[in-house]
Amino acid sequence: MLKKISLVGMLIFTLLFTLHCTKKTDPTDDTINAVLVANVKGLDPIQTNDLYSHLVVRQIYEGLMSYHYLKRPMELQPQLADGMPKVSKDGLTHTFKIKKGVVFHDDPAFANGKGREVVAEDFIYSWKRLADPKNRSTGYWIFDGKIKGLNEWAAAVGEGKADYAAPVEGLQAPDSHTLVIQLNEPYYQLHYVLAMGFASVVAKEVVDKYGEEFLNHPVGTGPFRFKNWVRGQKIELVRNEKFRNEVYPSEGAPGDKEAGFLADAGKKVPLASKLVFTELTEDQPRWLNFMKGNFDFLNIPKDNFSTAIENRQLTKDMKAKGIKIRFTKEPDITYIAFNNTHPILKNKKVRQAMGLAYDTKTSLDLFYNNLGIPAQSPIPPNIDGYDPDLKNPNTQFDIEKAKKLMAEAGYPEGKGFPEITYDTLSTTTSRQMGEFLQNSMKKIGINIKVRSNTWPQFQQKIKTKQTELWGIAWSADYPDAQNFLQLFYSKNHPPGPNESLFSNADFDKLYEEALLMPPGAKRTSHYKKMTKILVEEMPWIYNIHRELPRIYHGWLKNYKQNSLNHDFFKFLRVDAKERAKVKATL
Amino acid sequence: MIPILFGVTIITFILFNVVIDDPAVLLAGKSASPERLQQIRAELGTDQPLYVQYLTSVKQIFTFDFGRSWSSKQSVSETILAGLSPSLTLTVPAFIISILLSICLALGTAYFRGTAVDKFATVMALALMSISSLVYIMVFQYTFAFNLGVFPISGWDQSWTDRWQYVQLPWMIWIVLSLGPNLLVYRTAILDEYFQDYVRTARAKGLAEGVVLFKHVLKNALIPIITIVVVQMPFLITGSLLLEAFFGIPGLGGLLYQAINNSDFPVIRAMVVIGTLLYMTFNLLADLAYAVVNPRVRLS
Repeated sequence: MLKKISLVGMLIFTLLFTLHCTKKTDPTDDTINAVLVANVKGLDPIQTNDLYSHLVVRQIYEGLMSYHYLKRPMELQPQLADGMPKVSKDGLTHTFKIKKGVVFHDDPAFANGKGREVVAEDFIYSWKRLADPKNRSTGYWIFDGKIKGLNEWAAAVGEGKADYAAPVEGLQAPDSHTLVIQLNEPYYQLHYVLAMGFASVVAKEVVDKYGEEFLNHPVGTGPFRFKNWVRGQKIELVRNEKFRNEVYPSEGAPGDKEAGFLADAGKKVPLASKLVFTELTEDQPRWLNFMKGNFDFLNIPKDNFSTAIENRQLTKDMKAKGIKIRFTKEPDITYIAFNNTHPILKNKKVRQAMGLAYDTKTSLDLFYNNLGIPAQSPIPPNIDGYDPDLKNPNTQFDIEKAKKLMAEAGYPEGKGFPEITYDTLSTTTSRQMGEFLQNSMKKIGINIKVRSNTWPQFQQKIKTKQTELWGIAWSADYPDAQNFLQLFYSKNHPPGPNESLFSNADFDKLYEEALLMPPGAKRTSHYKKMTKILVEEMPWIYNIHRELPRIYHGWLKNYKQNSLNHDFFKFLRVDAKERAKVKATL
Repeated sequence: MIPILFGVTIITFILFNVVIDDPAVLLAGKSASPERLQQIRAELGTDQPLYVQYLTSVKQIFTFDFGRSWSSKQSVSETILAGLSPSLTLTVPAFIISILLSICLALGTAYFRGTAVDKFATVMALALMSISSLVYIMVFQYTFAFNLGVFPISGWDQSWTDRWQYVQLPWMIWIVLSLGPNLLVYRTAILDEYFQDYVRTARAKGLAEGVVLFKHVLKNALIPIITIVVVQMPFLITGSLLLEAFFGIPGLGGLLYQAINNSDFPVIRAMVVIGTLLYMTFNLLADLAYAVVNPRVRLS
């Protein structure tokens, strides 16, 4: 009997070890294989408040504006708009012509299942959806209070006193391909926010047909059509054969031609026939799959950094596998925020002292693999208002000067200074960053208690003003310093984005004036004046503007991803033969 | 069962409201006006008194309409149903194989009790238990999938014919992980029976050792084993978070983890209610199973 049992056991194990037949790569398959580090929540453009959902949505849906794929700094260009919009002299009226002949993807929601042409009314409908409180979009801030009558319409809809047929004064369609937007006051960031996924155009018929399930039935006008989604695992998109005649750009940034970025100039996009997004939340399988050639590009996981990069160069092993690398300066900032209304921390000298006691260079080395630059102000490079020559005197690591300031603030050697709580996330790196801050502040006699939180707890504490000191980051929504400076405007206190509760009358005055200014030297000068106030006042400890290394296989062509432009997959091309050949050796 | 379910729902509701007192703040995004926040509260119903919110929540439970996720806005019931099949594909076969294997090994060690074989098996079981599950997952994935190419690194296929290649390695890890604790517990249960009078009688009657082991010892040792196995069964539904995450299997473990991380109350509530119902059902099944395997425990 025992023998039989052992035999069964052995058989089970043998079965488990059955060799898995490795599939050979098809040399004609030009699918782009991308990986997402978090699960996609849904594919409704007004709900895509996370990067990963947005990345998928932007391949299916389009908006009026977009960014040039290759040019740097980022340059706005029309997407579904037929040319740049006409803006009235007072900056209050923006008239967009809509491209003719743009059609939605085929779907049973349309008559005969054929996608119909996009008209101006579709944009009005789509933006009303964004405003509709029932939809609870986190993206309404892009229009909140800006478009004439839209807030009033939203309030009336919320109370059941109006419906989608009710007009909005600031959104008019004088003819099928003309859209007129009227603003309450000049909003020079309007064209930027129209390049965000929230402002994409959707078709009413499709929303009506699928109702609450619309988020699983995306039907847009984009270069790729939705094919299949196994939630939490994989999303497949296929080329939209009816995509309008859009071609790969023939101009780029300096050096692009030499780097081969213009080799496909003039070719009709999308260049790939299929796009697969795999959702994988763990670093190791992402890394191993990339190394086996199952993904075409990757953000290097923290633990694999030293395997991949040495002195800002790919290691020999990586090069030998035909892997390439791109470094991109991210339009972001990591920072330690003060609660500027805290009885102790509202003292400017204390904030300056803490800024001086924090060694950003060591932080860059310890936590960012030396990729990035120490921030001098909130405004990152490549954003209008960034000053490359600025040297913030309050962030140049100097313990003696910090101690002096502490004494001037009434806390010599930290005497009488209460313990301050630093809130952070519960990840290992976040906690280590907290410990680094703790050690740094100890040198000037400040005791910091590090408190870990889940993301919702963390957000809740910040938004309900229960924090004293916390570490966080901000990434640009669009390439304008206003997107960073709004974080210090006193009328933006929570639930608005000014979470550090900073208030400064001079800053507010300059901010309000700059809001009404068109882009130009005068506005940039205002941005610099505001930056000067922030340098002096130190409402945050400015930490790092990050740089991101992205690695990709040599068979992937035209890969120039950045954090603002997400509709780039149409320009990517896979050399299928090269992939099949190289993959067999990996 | 109803009072237990009632108690669980009220505890879940209270705990959630203690941790997150205003979910609208989280759902409003990074830039919201106070008016917008109020509109969201009204949409969620969190502007209603707590007892009204609780009653709404209970009504949803009894109608099995768990609503939509606050975070992803997906239908909770459909999301759970979608995750069920991958979770069960991952856990059930591994669970069954692991139990059968553990029982075989436990019988073997009991047979060789006190000898070098028994000692070696016990030490191995302890050693297996001492290593973190994360280490097994990372090492096995790197070695068998990446280096040797015996299994795919990760992936999943919805079709019933192609999904198996993706779960073989996770099964193997599951079995290795559960072998240690199972072996030790089952061995103890079997040894408890091994020295009973009826076993001595069986031997005295001249029965073969195999018959003694399988017909007498195992049958009686099954009661504690069934208790342990049945208690573990509800957890098969929630899958295994780490195995799902590392092998890209879209199961319920990941869903629950994300729901907790996002303070997604409708999903948490649904999973807690389903978990409670399963737990109660399986406990009832355990009681019935006792009667089947042991005539001494018969319902009157």
